[in-house]
Amino acid sequence: MAFGGAEGVEYETATGRRAARGAPWSMRRREAVAGYLFIAPDAIGLAIFAALPMLLALGLGFYEVDGFGGYRFAGLANYRRMFLDPLFLQSLRVTLFYVLMLVPSLYVVGLGLALLAQRRSRISGLVRSLFFLPQMVSLVVVALVWQVLLVDKIGPVNRLMSLVGLGGLSWLGDPDLALASVVVVSLWFLMGFYMLIFLGGLQDIPREYYEAAWLDGANPIRAFFHITLPLLRTTSFFVLLVATVTAVAGGQAFDLIYVMTKGGPANSTELTIYYIYQQAFQYNEFGYAAAMATTLVAILLAFTFLLFRITRGGRFE
Amino acid sequence: METQKNGRAASTGELTRRQLLRRGTILGGAAALTGFPAIIRAKAATTTLSFWQFYAPGGPVPAQSQWFEDAVAAWNAARDAKIQLEYVPSGDYMNGTKLPTAFASGQGPDIFLISPGDFLRYYNGGVLQDLTPYIDAHTRSDFSQSVIASRKVDDKIYGVPMEVEPMAFYYRKDFFDKAGLNENDLPKTWEQLLEIGKKLTTSDRFGLLFETMPGYYQNFTWYPFLWQGGGEIQGSDGKSAFNAPATIQALKFWQDAVKSGAAPRKPLGGGVWDIVPNLGSGYCAIQNCGIWGISNLQSGAKDVPYGIFKLPTPPGGKYVTVGGGWAMVANAKGKNPDAAGQFCAWALASASPDSLKRMVDWCTVAKSDMPPRQSAFDTGKAAFETGQMKIFTEQIYPGARAEPRVPPQVYKIVSDAIQACQLNGAEPAKQAETASQQLDAFLAGYTGAKIL
Repeated sequence: MAFGGAEGVEYETATGRRAARGAPWSMRRREAVAGYLFIAPDAIGLAIFAALPMLLALGLGFYEVDGFGGYRFAGLANYRRMFLDPLFLQSLRVTLFYVLMLVPSLYVVGLGLALLAQRRSRISGLVRSLFFLPQMVSLVVVALVWQVLLVDKIGPVNRLMSLVGLGGLSWLGDPDLALASVVVVSLWFLMGFYMLIFLGGLQDIPREYYEAAWLDGANPIRAFFHITLPLLRTTSFFVLLVATVTAVAGGQAFDLIYVMTKGGPANSTELTIYYIYQQAFQYNEFGYAAAMATTLVAILLAFTFLLFRITRGGRFE
Repeated sequence: METQKNGRAASTGELTRRQLLRRGTILGGAAALTGFPAIIRAKAATTTLSFWQFYAPGGPVPAQSQWFEDAVAAWNAARDAKIQLEYVPSGDYMNGTKLPTAFASGQGPDIFLISPGDFLRYYNGGVLQDLTPYIDAHTRSDFSQSVIASRKVDDKIYGVPMEVEPMAFYYRKDFFDKAGLNENDLPKTWEQLLEIGKKLTTSDRFGLLFETMPGYYQNFTWYPFLWQGGGEIQGSDGKSAFNAPATIQALKFWQDAVKSGAAPRKPLGGGVWDIVPNLGSGYCAIQNCGIWGISNLQSGAKDVPYGIFKLPTPPGGKYVTVGGGWAMVANAKGKNPDAAGQFCAWALASASPDSLKRMVDWCTVAKSDMPPRQSAFDTGKAAFETGQMKIFTEQIYPGARAEPRVPPQVYKIVSDAIQACQLNGAEPAKQAETASQQLDAFLAGYTGAKIL
């Protein structure tokens, strides 16, 4: 098929031209060029909007920038300042707690929902849509709605909690609860997305494995631990990696914190990404913010590299 | 062969790779060419001066955006240098990226509004135009000297104050009645305020409301409590004066209000400046708010019965409140700094009756504020001495001190101390000491304009 019929005609035509130009291109090379041309728009977009800003941020980290066009070379001063800045170190701790609370919860809830939603029934489509629905809403709207739900004393959540004697909590105003509240809202927003990813993974597992297990007398729990989980390793790797990177980079948390807490109360929800934003846009410390952003990217790269090494690229071989 | 190939493409209706590239190039070229008129139009538009402000067209008080539209229309009708208004949502204007990114990229607005809290950031950045040459000597002396001081450096004026907004307490008369309280029970001391706050607290209402969201605004509302006990951020020797009994007392008072359960940890609406969703909705019985609360309640909660009282004082303290307010400034690196400077002076700081009327209208029709010019006060005297404004004129405003201007780094240090004590149960003495050390470290290397 590849060289028959019309393809053959084109091959002959190209050969004729090649002879005229005297520059032979093999089919392999032509395919490679075509492939590069196809990925070029995406690659150019990434280079301009991701790689270039990252390089600029790396350079900016070595300057003192006043935000009004003034630049002064500062060497490693911004990096030295970072490690002596208690608020930066605290923001790293807050980010770590946020990741430790969110990522495992996302894994468990996403997988749990996928297991529920994969059952074929008349309402399974509706169930999947409902769980995915939060993803369709703007994060700012999500934050505003939850802010109303979590209002002190008279908010619906507090009204409900007061029925079991737990009213009077300040979900967004108490430093001990605020980060957990942001995690819950993040979880509610993201669970549908990860449910879809797990659903894809579950549908790749051949039914024959379960049938064989049932014939051998395995119960659903044994089947889950000995068939489902092991065969979801690559999906799990993807979920853990993407969820962690998104959480650290403030994929959804930034908007939620910007609207709901502004990093408060008492800096308890000040993730590193939010602290970087504050330094850049509220205190005009663009150079310092760039140095922190570079450090955050380095931490993420190190984490990703380590995860790839441990899991052999997610194949777990 | 070519015919064969074309025939194949034509017969199957598919495009060859070359055809695809050729057509793509033509389409791309056409798109680029059609973009030229837009580019030319954009170039022409750059001669128009931009004026950024945060009063939404058709917002909660329509007269506010209307005031800006009228002023710009009057200017444009008589001048060659035209001005175009641009509305920026208040959250983005005050805490967002819009202004910083615009200035960082050299695209800042030609005219904009700033509060004293942001003055040093822009002055130290070298983008504020000296407005002194555009304001005659008589008008300069017409401004309240304490108000304009925070917009001056080396006796030059860099911002025209639009208003003075002193802080006070608003209370719900119906809630007072229900609790068996009346005007005679209005608190005079911090202790009484806390007691009444507790008395007015119910299962679905807080007795008192202070700002809890970290930011410039929270600092602004806390300063009077610091000053009432004689406290300051910076001493006359240029070093931190923050580690003092007055600071500790003020931090502790706000902490006690939350600890006692009388004050919430989170306000409703946009924050504690937003009086309608808080006092207006019945979320609290007493709210710490500025003079603008009168026009906001008039516009958004007309039927709510409320009263106003001045800030109570601590034992041995002296009454003082803070007077904030926005100022109009011109961008020294803008398209036409001279015209932008002229506009600021023409709008609110000229001797002409129109300029004076604009200030009176802004403070009495669009908002409920005190005017920064004596002649504007005299012109609109009737409005300033009527209804709730009378309380501000007679009791509250005379004790007003201008909002401090501090660099962002100083604001953050103070903010962290307030937040830690108010919401995280931190020891006020320890926080005052830590903040003071941080302030000294910053002030030692600070080279910008004087902190006031």
